[in-house]
Amino acid sequence: MAYEPQYYPGATSVAENRRKHMSGKVEKLRDISDDDLTLILGHRAPGSDYPSTHPPLTEMGEPECSIRELVEPTPGAKAGDRVRYVQFVDSMYNAPSTPYFRSYAAAINFRGVDPGTLSGRQVVEARERDMEELAKFQIETEMTCPALAGLRGATVHGHSLRLPEDGVMFDMLDRVRKEGDSIIMHKDQVGRPIDKKVNLGKAMSADEAAKRTTIYRADNIAFRDDAEVLEWVHRVFKQRTIYGFKPEATEL
Amino acid sequence: MANDRQKMFAKHMEAKFTKEHGSNKMEGGEITDMVGKYYRLGVDQAPRKVEMKKAGQEIANKRGLVGYNPMMHCGGIPLGQRAITPSFLSGTDDMVEVDDLHYVNNSAMQQMWDDIRRSVVVGMDMAHETLEKRLGIEVTPETINHYLETLNHALPGGAVVQEHMVETHPALVDDCFVKMFTGDDELADEIDKQFLIDINKEFPAEQAEQIKAAIGKSSWQAAHIPTIVSRTTDGAQTSRWMAMQVGMSFISAYSMCAGEAAVADLSYAAKHAGVISMGEMLPARRARGPNEPGGVSFGHFADIIQTSRKTPENPANVALEVVGAGCMLYDQIWLGSYMSGGVGFTQYATAGYTNNILDDNLYYNIDYINDKYNDAAKTGTDNKVQATLDVVKDISTESTIYGLENYEKYPTTLEDHFGGSQRATSLSAAAGSAVAIATGNGNAGLSGWYLSMYLHKEAHGRLGFFGYDLQDQCGATNVLSYQSDEGLALELRGPNYPNYAMNVGHQGGYAAITSAAHAGRGDAFSANPLIKVCFADSLLPFDFTKPRKEFARGALREFEPAGERSLIIPAK
Repeated sequence: MAYEPQYYPGATSVAENRRKHMSGKVEKLRDISDDDLTLILGHRAPGSDYPSTHPPLTEMGEPECSIRELVEPTPGAKAGDRVRYVQFVDSMYNAPSTPYFRSYAAAINFRGVDPGTLSGRQVVEARERDMEELAKFQIETEMTCPALAGLRGATVHGHSLRLPEDGVMFDMLDRVRKEGDSIIMHKDQVGRPIDKKVNLGKAMSADEAAKRTTIYRADNIAFRDDAEVLEWVHRVFKQRTIYGFKPEATEL
Repeated sequence: MANDRQKMFAKHMEAKFTKEHGSNKMEGGEITDMVGKYYRLGVDQAPRKVEMKKAGQEIANKRGLVGYNPMMHCGGIPLGQRAITPSFLSGTDDMVEVDDLHYVNNSAMQQMWDDIRRSVVVGMDMAHETLEKRLGIEVTPETINHYLETLNHALPGGAVVQEHMVETHPALVDDCFVKMFTGDDELADEIDKQFLIDINKEFPAEQAEQIKAAIGKSSWQAAHIPTIVSRTTDGAQTSRWMAMQVGMSFISAYSMCAGEAAVADLSYAAKHAGVISMGEMLPARRARGPNEPGGVSFGHFADIIQTSRKTPENPANVALEVVGAGCMLYDQIWLGSYMSGGVGFTQYATAGYTNNILDDNLYYNIDYINDKYNDAAKTGTDNKVQATLDVVKDISTESTIYGLENYEKYPTTLEDHFGGSQRATSLSAAAGSAVAIATGNGNAGLSGWYLSMYLHKEAHGRLGFFGYDLQDQCGATNVLSYQSDEGLALELRGPNYPNYAMNVGHQGGYAAITSAAHAGRGDAFSANPLIKVCFADSLLPFDFTKPRKEFARGALREFEPAGERSLIIPAK
């Protein structure tokens, strides 16, 4: 019987969405061109070569090494790309993703990534083209609502602030705006103006966001109502506590 | 249990988010509103920022070198893109500018740490034994009074024994003094009242009996060297300054020969054998001498704060005052300045002692515990609930979910605690303190803290920043660890406990849990009765019975600190 990863407990839509994010089986909702992605990431000019920190691995004359033989380098590593970042901020008002689930999604489904998880933001560092692959995936799929989530290299406290009247998560650096039905980005991740406005697509409706979110909230799916998740957290807590006290008494 | 009770933070949230302060345009609306308005008014909306901006400009003009300029904040975009709102010190009605809760801007905060750093407890018995048994000098209450009079001259920097000595100006060191205390009521009766910390007077009767029983017939000095000395040197200087003046005072008061060998015994007792520092020395990688904040154990800190002798019937209040003081010392001063640098830690720390958000959570827990566990949250020892994992699980879960739902139902509280680390500290301090009060067990409280962290992380899919919550992922495993250093009793842990060395936003909470366990039981002290008595003294500039009120006075510029230099600088 093939192994079927279970990822996460819970019987609610939030738990189900968490499983989706972790599995990588998420719905694609929009397209972003490579040039637009490059613009908003702000690491290099669209169309320019990837700056590298070392020659391609094939030209490096690497030593014989069983690990090198066993592990296929990522495209970015093969090419010698520098390490760059993408950083997402997700509103606590039902943004589809949350920092931990972005990190789990990255670590489970992508290679060569270094996810960092904080309360207001989630950063992934990787070789530049590998990072872009992940960024494109997360931006284009149901993991991201352009109004409730965004790329922000700095000033991320909008995640916990009340939504403005237009429903676009507060951004101190005013990188993102609503124009008509679309959410546009006119500055890059760290707030530098970019040459053209990048259309990130339509915002999710409040109902859709509530349906797709991975955050428990009392006004949507309350944490206290997901009995299986609570039971699982309690089990983790108990196991860790007992393991420190008397490892042999830990229930497996 | 219904959680639709009157929220203790409501009044403060209304003042912050529905009433204009300065010209921030925060007028109208409800604290439950999900939608906010953002006017991007910059720093000119806030009175204190305006004052600071003007000062920055004046300084630049005067010295010909630029300085504070809020437009340098983030690529020309200053703070204040959302409303800059004031805060209330929890447990008070004092509204302050948040900038004034940085310790640089708050003389009360500075003085709290000054008063701790410059304090040391010194035994008297070893010196008395040396005098009596070795030298045959009689020690009586009269000689002790004479010695204490001498030392109150010498400790601030007055010369004794040697002629033609330089001395410190009394008006610069007027905060320096020494008093004694003892568990021996008969001896205490004979001591001049100006020199005595009267345990019977300062503590409720039951606590006084506990403390006297713990101290017994021994006698101790609570010495506080001058703030100005401590500020110019460091915490390790405290015992040295004290010991030199103690030694000289013994020589003078008991007419000893200045060079006789017994002086070395007195010196050894005062410098080493009979000294209780507030904080232990730190290892080389965090090298600090004694009496620096990284060495102040949670038990010592819980004893330094004096709320337990003023509101013994309210253990939650005791814990909350310790949270406030602990977040200030451990986060703002120790981790924020000594260990890290920068100004950011204040924002974390204030979440623990402003706007009654944590207070509301803890008082809710008290009601929950009293309802479910037969008044186990009331002060006492017979009413405690047994510290089991099931009890920890129940109380911590209820507490955490209640607090999480407040953030979800009151978006203004989420906006006030806009960082996950702030929320995590508040939620876990409430949960941990509640478990500690109910069980009378600090490590059970610590266990509740860690469960709260796990629950918070799963509920919101986020917790603190990397360095914040990595300790919390493994914390449960060290609560009751069989390995002696990891499994240490909470009272004996401190900022130098292995996992807590860079544990931002946690240590005030840990100190609170320590105090909560003992306040819940009605104990007179948490770890050390000598330290508890040392700070039971209204002559100290900082009032350790109500630190949060003192911080408010500092922020409102009403607090009068010690160690000022105005006497010796040109008048302005």
